[in-house]
Amino acid sequence: MSKVLAIARKELMTLFSSPVAYIVLILAMGVFNIFFYMIVDGNREATLRDIFSIMEFIFVFLMPILTMKIFAEEKQNGTMEFLMTTPTTNSQIVLGKYFGYLVFFSFLIFLTGIYYVILEGFAQPDRWTILIGYLGIWLEGAFFLAVGMLISSWTRHQMVAAMGAYIFLFMLYFSISFIQYCSGSLQTMVRFLSTWSHLENFSSGLFTSADVIYYLSGIGLCLALTRLSIENRLWR
Amino acid sequence: MITTQHVYKYFGTQAALQDVSFDINPGEIVGFLGPNGAGKTTLMRVLTTYLPASRGKVFIAGIDIDREPLKVCSKIGYLSETPPLYYHLTVAEYLLFAAQLKDVPARDQRRRLETVLAQCQLENVRSTLIQHLSRGFKQRVGIAQALIHDPTVLILDEPTNGLDPVQILQVRHLIQSLREKRTVILSTHILSEIEQLAQRILIIESGRIIADDRLDLLLSRYPQRNLESIFLSLVAQRAEGNEYV
Repeated sequence: MSKVLAIARKELMTLFSSPVAYIVLILAMGVFNIFFYMIVDGNREATLRDIFSIMEFIFVFLMPILTMKIFAEEKQNGTMEFLMTTPTTNSQIVLGKYFGYLVFFSFLIFLTGIYYVILEGFAQPDRWTILIGYLGIWLEGAFFLAVGMLISSWTRHQMVAAMGAYIFLFMLYFSISFIQYCSGSLQTMVRFLSTWSHLENFSSGLFTSADVIYYLSGIGLCLALTRLSIENRLWR
Repeated sequence: MITTQHVYKYFGTQAALQDVSFDINPGEIVGFLGPNGAGKTTLMRVLTTYLPASRGKVFIAGIDIDREPLKVCSKIGYLSETPPLYYHLTVAEYLLFAAQLKDVPARDQRRRLETVLAQCQLENVRSTLIQHLSRGFKQRVGIAQALIHDPTVLILDEPTNGLDPVQILQVRHLIQSLREKRTVILSTHILSEIEQLAQRILIIESGRIIADDRLDLLLSRYPQRNLESIFLSLVAQRAEGNEYV
């Protein structure tokens, strides 16, 4: 566990010593703030439901920028060889990197907690609905991070990693748009695979084990595939 | 200390290593000598567990690297051809990170840090970001990370690559100072470097070992009595299909 924490700490230090972390934080919070004002001012409702939808949409664009360097940079700088010749398991490397980025992402979500504080100041929002919504958006971001990290492990080029993650996240997010062209089991599958339908439940205050399992199994699958990807010595 | 038995490494159908066998005793300084693309780096990567051998066995300190790679990693200090550095960390941060990954007990990490900083003459740059260091200092940081866990085997891939003459001398002195307690393998295509640093030489060409001898014996065995001429004649013989082992 200490190695996982050491790698996570190194990831955070590296992240905050580059402009990427600040760009992501400023960009995300800037956009969220504008939409929060517009939505609350327009709807006059003490809910964050629409904000969560905006966050999900923005994360499709932001996560690839955040995750593109996780493994691609290590390969480019030759530090992957260093990591893999230390007595550290591949699982520790993957988990350490993932936890580092998850802490950063959780900090971003924590910053948006100000919206709840503002709503509490002016109205009586449904606390459970908002809390479940936050759990949903956190799980969604954690899933996106795992997808981005997996794709970053496939290449040594950061731009390729970012483009790959964009394509994959777009497919996950927008697949719901094609549901009208599907029927039967295909329609059920598209609905299940799309992140949009799962977050919609959380945002509405609906907590179902199926949605939680969807995100956790997605994260688990991506982490397992990332481990396989760095274990596969064909690229070395 | 290091034993390889009939090691082969293939990349697709291309053989990068062919029937590589040798034994290196504890405390020996061995130089891998060979032209670019001869297989020196591949052999080092196999020894450090980074690449698996396609065939054959490798033992480090009696441990089979296929069975217990992590145990082997904790005994090896490795400097790859390009020093593996995190440019956004300071020298001390990076070395402490390396110590954590290399199983240095938490109570010893600071002490080991101070030791390698002194050994590699990095005390004055301990708080400097690695990206701001000169190439010579970066190379020394690379060697420091290889030493942080006090390994019994040190593997250095072209440790003076790309350095200016002054920096080359500094790194050579550093390697010479490390001889006492360790088995050292270093690869280079600079003949004078091998002559100054190594006791024993393995000449590698096209993935095969074409000579393996102590430097003094190798020099006495050939009429040329000059490593450069011997090396060139061995490589030429090999090219003509005449093997010498």
